[in-house]
Amino acid sequence: MANKRKHTNILILLFLLVGSLAMIFPFVWMLLSSFKTVGDVYAYPPKWLPSSWNFSNYKKVFQMIPFAKYYFNSIFTSTAQTTLQLGLSVTTAYVLVVLTFPGKKFLNSLIRSTMFVPVIVTLIPLYLMVSKASLIDTYAGIILPQVFGAFTIFLLVSFFSSIPLVLFDSAKLDGCGYYRILSQVVIPNSKSAISTAMLFSFLGHWKSYTWPLIVTNKATYRTLPIGMKYLVQESSSEYQIMMAASVMAIFPVLIVYLFFEKQLVKSITLTGLKA
Amino acid sequence: MKKTTVCVLIFVLAMALGFAQGSKETTTRPEVVKLQVWYAISGASGEQFLALAKAFDAARPDIELELTYSGSYADTATKVSASLLSGNAPDTAIMAAGQLYTGGRNDYSMENLVQDPDFNFNDIFKGMLEYGMFEGRVAAVPYGISSQVLYYNKDITDKAGLDLEKNPPATWAEFFQIAKTAMQKGNINNSSDFYGFDTSDGVWLFKSMLGQNGNAVVRKSGGKVGPVFQESSGVEVATFWKSLIDSKLMPAGQHNNAEKKFLAGNLAFIAASSNRVTRWQGNTGFKLGAIMMPGFKNRSIALGGNVGVILTEDGFKRDASWELLKYLLEEKNHTAFALSTGYLPVRKSAQNGPVVQQALAANPLYKVAFDQLNNAWAYYHFSEMGTMDAFFWYALDEIEKNVLTPQAALDKAAASLIKEIE
Repeated sequence: MANKRKHTNILILLFLLVGSLAMIFPFVWMLLSSFKTVGDVYAYPPKWLPSSWNFSNYKKVFQMIPFAKYYFNSIFTSTAQTTLQLGLSVTTAYVLVVLTFPGKKFLNSLIRSTMFVPVIVTLIPLYLMVSKASLIDTYAGIILPQVFGAFTIFLLVSFFSSIPLVLFDSAKLDGCGYYRILSQVVIPNSKSAISTAMLFSFLGHWKSYTWPLIVTNKATYRTLPIGMKYLVQESSSEYQIMMAASVMAIFPVLIVYLFFEKQLVKSITLTGLKA
Repeated sequence: MKKTTVCVLIFVLAMALGFAQGSKETTTRPEVVKLQVWYAISGASGEQFLALAKAFDAARPDIELELTYSGSYADTATKVSASLLSGNAPDTAIMAAGQLYTGGRNDYSMENLVQDPDFNFNDIFKGMLEYGMFEGRVAAVPYGISSQVLYYNKDITDKAGLDLEKNPPATWAEFFQIAKTAMQKGNINNSSDFYGFDTSDGVWLFKSMLGQNGNAVVRKSGGKVGPVFQESSGVEVATFWKSLIDSKLMPAGQHNNAEKKFLAGNLAFIAASSNRVTRWQGNTGFKLGAIMMPGFKNRSIALGGNVGVILTEDGFKRDASWELLKYLLEEKNHTAFALSTGYLPVRKSAQNGPVVQQALAANPLYKVAFDQLNNAWAYYHFSEMGTMDAFFWYALDEIEKNVLTPQAALDKAAASLIKEIE
């Protein structure tokens, strides 16, 4: 019996190991490619290791774009957008779950419908609004139009709906108003869902390319994805430079993920959300 | 596909140009004219462009440039369209199909500017000049122009016993046999995913082939543009295209992977932009070769790339923009740009100049693209051009995947284009 269990465990372990390797492979490939030459990148059969180890691709990244400035801008705008989006999403989700008011269904459908509109359709009207507000080439111009996220709202709505009603009733009996119920009952009980929403939101903003490109002209306000696009040419084949920039660009996302990993896993278990 | 997206975007968005507000005219020339310059050139080409633009900026204290990378061709089209609508448009831009913006709003001021005696208008290759035209009138000037070149993997052709330097194919029929031999005898990687020929931009090659077979793609008659690619000369080209698929020389619907396959040594020949010379030379794991594109009735070659366009309506800014474009297109400057990026020199005088000759001696692959210059032509630019390219993509896909016959696919594309124009 013990032997059988041991064998099963080994099989599970092997399965998980293969799965882990499959997950980690793109990152290792990216890291190795960042040291390669164009010839190495396209060699057939594929070359695992670069023909020589040097940092010329990394050096090139810094020569071609103001990488540090773009990095700072990406961190600043993504953090600001994520914070604002979460604030907006938590309160909106709370309103949609807890309050009863005329037009609630319509508001619900209206928010949901924004998920079906392609970004490209809203790009020019949004640009005109931002332009009228004199927000072109400003951090606010990048941040504000992107803080509304129907996905995070409904992610939180689905989670808030699962909080037992008795908790709300008890809080009311204890004399809590709407704000205290939100801050002392809903948020503490939804940490995992909020962390998931935060991760999705941060990832989305971190890789956002088109809107920051459209709304900025000065390098002072530009973000990493724009800089990374500049590194390659139209239909380019110089992926090694892009890989070097990607290796450096991935750290904030990794940090955010590592920080919220436990909450994220918990949230996936509770909500059945597929990451 | 990128070019198609760009053109479709430009067309759709340029419809709104009627609402566009141009920059307000100033009455006295400021001491320093500030120019907003957007450019859709990145990577090594972008660096070369920037170096030239900064040199101009330094040499002209009366003009100050604010240079902005505007993204890919498609991104730039979106950015320019949005900015024109809000009155934040750049004064000048280096972008694909820029003439759809100026010509589209009946702005042909470039026609007068190119008459500037310092510009030496007659020194520009005819085909390149046509590349900046809208409905037959000059609305932009050519800048980063390229043509397709037939590259080959010399290791494959050597293994197959083919000597393309001595016996290059003059016609597509000859090429067909050569590619077949390369495929049968030259599989250096013993790969199951090995092919004789492909192209990274099917529509571009197809339009070149139409021209080679005496087909004008579209024709303007009675003030209206209409398709002619569905005529018998066009169907012949599409039938040849299908024969490449039927004989398994070219994979069906895999043009996006063509360059990757070629660089991995799993493709003998590829029709790709001449600007790949600088990117690929010395960076491939095999000996790289290039020959002139074969032809049908002639060996003409369709041009592609970006143009310089002046979008401002302010007279002083327009003059300053023209000074910049003129500087960028000076023989010395443009030749330097062309040689370091793989784009083609736009001036005839550059072709026989010492700098080009020296570069040709150092890198014979350049010669192929340069030799093709005299056969270069630009397809007719009109508002529905991008939509037409999309219809071409569908048609080629349907032909390659055996959904429709060449005649039926081209007829369908022509009918769709007529509907679009009407």
